[in-house]
Formats: sequence, structure tokens, C-alpha cells
Amino acid sequence: MKIFASVFAFLVIASFAQADVLKINGSTTVNLPAAEGAEILRAEKKMDIQVDTQGGSSGGISALGDGQVQVGMSSKPVSDDDRAKYPNVKFNPVHIGEDAVAMIVSKDVWDRGVKALTKQQIQDLYESKIKNWNEVGGPDERVVFFNKEPGRGTWEVFAHWAYGDPKKAPQVSLPEVGGNEETRNKVGSTRGAISQLSSSWADGKKVFALGIKTESGEVLQPTPDNIATHKYPMSRPLFLITNGEPQGEAKVFVDFMLSPQGQELVKKHGYLALDQLKTTAP
Amino acid sequence: MLPLATRGRAPSLTKSASFAFSALALLTLATLVLIFLVQSLPVWRQEGLGYITGTKWFYRANIFGALPMIYGTIVVAFIALLLAAPIGIGAAVFTSEFLPQRMRLAVKITIELLAGVPSVVYGLLGILFLRNWIYDLFARFEPLSGDTLLTAGVLLGVMILPTVMTLADDALRGVPADQRRAARSLGLNATETVLGVALPQAKRGLIAALLLGLGRALGETIAVFLVVGRQDNNLPENIFSVHAWLEAGQTLSTKLGGSETNIAYGGSLHWAAMVGLALILMAMVLAVTMAGAWQRRTNDAASL
Repeated sequence: MKIFASVFAFLVIASFAQADVLKINGSTTVNLPAAEGAEILRAEKKMDIQVDTQGGSSGGISALGDGQVQVGMSSKPVSDDDRAKYPNVKFNPVHIGEDAVAMIVSKDVWDRGVKALTKQQIQDLYESKIKNWNEVGGPDERVVFFNKEPGRGTWEVFAHWAYGDPKKAPQVSLPEVGGNEETRNKVGSTRGAISQLSSSWADGKKVFALGIKTESGEVLQPTPDNIATHKYPMSRPLFLITNGEPQGEAKVFVDFMLSPQGQELVKKHGYLALDQLKTTAP
Repeated sequence: MLPLATRGRAPSLTKSASFAFSALALLTLATLVLIFLVQSLPVWRQEGLGYITGTKWFYRANIFGALPMIYGTIVVAFIALLLAAPIGIGAAVFTSEFLPQRMRLAVKITIELLAGVPSVVYGLLGILFLRNWIYDLFARFEPLSGDTLLTAGVLLGVMILPTVMTLADDALRGVPADQRRAARSLGLNATETVLGVALPQAKRGLIAALLLGLGRALGETIAVFLVVGRQDNNLPENIFSVHAWLEAGQTLSTKLGGSETNIAYGGSLHWAAMVGLALILMAMVLAVTMAGAWQRRTNDAASL
């Protein structure tokens, strides 16, 4: 019985020790600056922080809703559906920067002439109505559309732009990709590939960000200027989300990400920091 | 080893404690099955058996058919077994029949270490090498990308190889040495002894090794997740078509591992459908594992 008692005591102590760990989960896009911020806080303030990217943005939101983490990372706003799912949770999104979703293609598609597409063309590619790149001025090659998993921030932004509302997006059965690294790797290594990806991950070596051609024929590139002014249509805010006002360790972390040092990290990973945004009141 | 004085009480405490623990394990399993059953009830009510035989899964239209995922799961596991069976049993024949005892243990332990490599590592290796390799190797059959059922199957085959190999080795070692000596003294050479005596006598154990490997293959998630393509509703017209192996697919476990689970969360029909997938997967794994354990047990009994 002594063994049981000590095992029990150990479990109790362990669960209290766990309470000191600041747990963060969510979007792989927000993860880049957040993980580096956590690294700095671990070294400087000896804080115990775990950063994870299970399930992307919606994974972050549901982990926060379930109380598994104190901070969720999201590259999409918290929706009414999310709030309805967790009526007892006061989602408090803290805006830490801005990013854009780009349509990215593999090198062969880019090199052989596809540099920009219209919204209509992108919809047709998504719905497999266009099956060969030669229909949009590219090489004679089959289209391989790697769809970002629904639930990922990237996909939601894409669906919002292309169909007005993610719920109105037609249901398609495309091969799916999850995290940003996976997306970049698979598009880069597949001929005729296209996908949706955070524009800062489009390296211009393996994968290339397409411009969006408007009805007036203007081509919008996901440049910092176009993102800051929201001229580029698929720009999106990046959030850290807490339950109510951030407190304790979570507050230290959120404050750090909003500090000049934290904002530097946001810029370093190719996103726009808050002071770069030309906020025209909506 | 125990002092004699404790012999009176120790067994009863041991017995009751071990009974309590095995009861706890059984109870956990039963509770799990029960929870899965109850939570998936709405989808069975709406779709009936069509939930298993349905070929379309569109969650926003509330259409739930799991067949393409069941197909994907079986094909991927089958390819894995196709690969792991000959190599695993071949390696086991070598270690158990031809290596001296000490070498045998060294080789066996090394191979068992492979079983401890986290599956996400296999998955990343799959993304880095296997995908591209399959994409190039089968280029003439024009796969759309390197994410195919075949890629996932090959990766899984590598992953279950240690399990199959080490259990097959145990099974072969279970054949009494006398049998081999008798065979040799009757004039059979080493090859004939293996083929005519050791392998047939260890048959049940070998089948058990394959089934337990299969059980592992069915439930594996992360590694498959990264290379299978995760394409819904991709059921070929001819389910025995080998060409379909070069297309992307979805398995039960990769569906559950994706972020759709987060969308479904919250008591809706969609959630019931996701839990239903877990129930189907669990039933498949349980059936295979139990068949394996049963084969293994009867083998032990026969060799006593």
C-alpha cells in the first residue's frame, strides 16, 4: 500500500507542477514568431512554455475552449460557431500581426508562364473544372491541387475570399495538406502542383506566389504594401487568443509578443507587425 | 526468491491486485466501446448500414459514408503486410535457424529497437525520401503526386517489419530443437529442415506474428497521415485494381487525425460520424489482434 500511497502522492504533485507550464497550441503560421518568443522567455525568465501546432487554428481554438491550453494561436478570427460551441469561454483575440494567403505553384508551372490567375480561374481549379494547366496559359500538365485542410486558418481565408463564406464553399475531394512545411514541401516536389499557403512561406525557389488578377486586369501581388492596405484580397490577421483577459504567465507571454522585441519576431518571419499596418477604420 | 514466511499471504494479495488491474483494463476497454457506441448513435440512426457501405463523405451536406476510408485502411495495411511478411519471416528464419544464440540476440535487439522509433520520424522520412522515390519510380503510370496508398503501405511495411520479425523469430524458436535434430539425422539438409519441419510447425505462431503486425498497421496514424494524400471519396470502381494504389486516399485513422475532428467537435451529427469511424477502426483492430493472440496461444499449447 505504501507504493500506492507514494504513487498517488507523486501524481498529485506532478499535476500541481503541471499547472505552472504555459501551454500554447494552434496555427503553424503564428507558431513561427510565437515559438521563438517562447524560446526567449524560457531563457530570460525561466518560464516553462510548451508550444504545439496540433490541428492548426481550429485546433488552437478548441484546445483553448477545452481548457487544455492557456493561449491559442490562430490565423483566422474566432467565429460565432466557435463561440456557440464553448458558451462558457470568453474568447479574447489579441491581434499581433498580419499575414496574407497566397496561391502557390510549383516551379514548372511558374517557369512556363503561370504568374497570376483570376478568382474565377482559381475557383475552377479548386472545383476540378480546370484539369490541365494549358487551359490557363501554362504547360500541358495535369493540375494537382493540394487543398489546405478545412479548419486551417489558411483554408478559411481562401474560402472566404473565393466563395464569400467558408460554409458556401463547394465540397471537394482533393488531396489535403496540413501544416505550412508539409504544404511547401509537397507542392515543391510535385509537377503541376498548386495550393494555398501563407505568402511569407513562398520562398521563390521551390514554390512561387501567384498574383491575383482583378476584373480590371490589375495584378495584385502579396507584397507588404498591398497586405498593409488590404489591397491584396487574402490578407488576414494573426491572433493570440486567451480566455478572458490574459493573466499570469499567459499575460507575460502576450505582452512580450506585443512588445517591440516580440513585434520584431513577427517581422522577422515575414509577417507585418502592427505598426506597419495602415489602419483604415473598417 | 520470496522469504518463505510471506508465502501464506502474498499470493492472495498478488492475485487480488492483479485481478483488480486486469479488471480495470477490461473496464476501460468496455467503457471506451460504450462511449463510442453511444456518441456515434445519431449517425447510425440517420445512415443505418449505409454509413459503412456509403461511398461519399461530404460533412457540410451531412452525407457520411465510410467505405472509401475502410477501403483505404485495408489496402494500406495489405500492402504493408505484403512487404513485411516475406522479409520479416525470411529474417526470422535467418536469425533463429542459422545464427548462433548470441548473435541472434544482438540482431534481434537491434531490429526491435526499430520498433521504438516514433512514427512521426518515419513519416518525415517518408515525406523526404519515399514520396519522391515512388513518384519517380512509377512515373510511367502517371501518379498525380507522390502521395499514394502505395507510399503509405510501403512506409507502414517498414514500420511493422520489426514486430513481424521478432514475433516470427519467437515462433520459430518455439519449435523444439529435437525436431530439427531428428530431421537432420534422417538426412534432410538445413534448407529442407527449415522448409519441412520448422516453418510448418511454427505456422500458427507465424500467422499470429502477421496478424499482430497487421493490427499495428491498421491503427497507425501520423506516418500514414503524412504520405497517403488524405483525399476523400477516392474509391476506385474496381476495388481490386492495383493501379488505384497509385492514387491518393484516406484511411480511418488519417481522417480522425486531421483537423476535421476539431470542426466536428460539439455533439452534432458530424461528430457522431467521426466517432463512428473510431468505432469501426477499433472493431477492425480488435478483431485482428484477438485473432492474432488466439493463434499465438494455440501455438504455445501445441508446442508444450
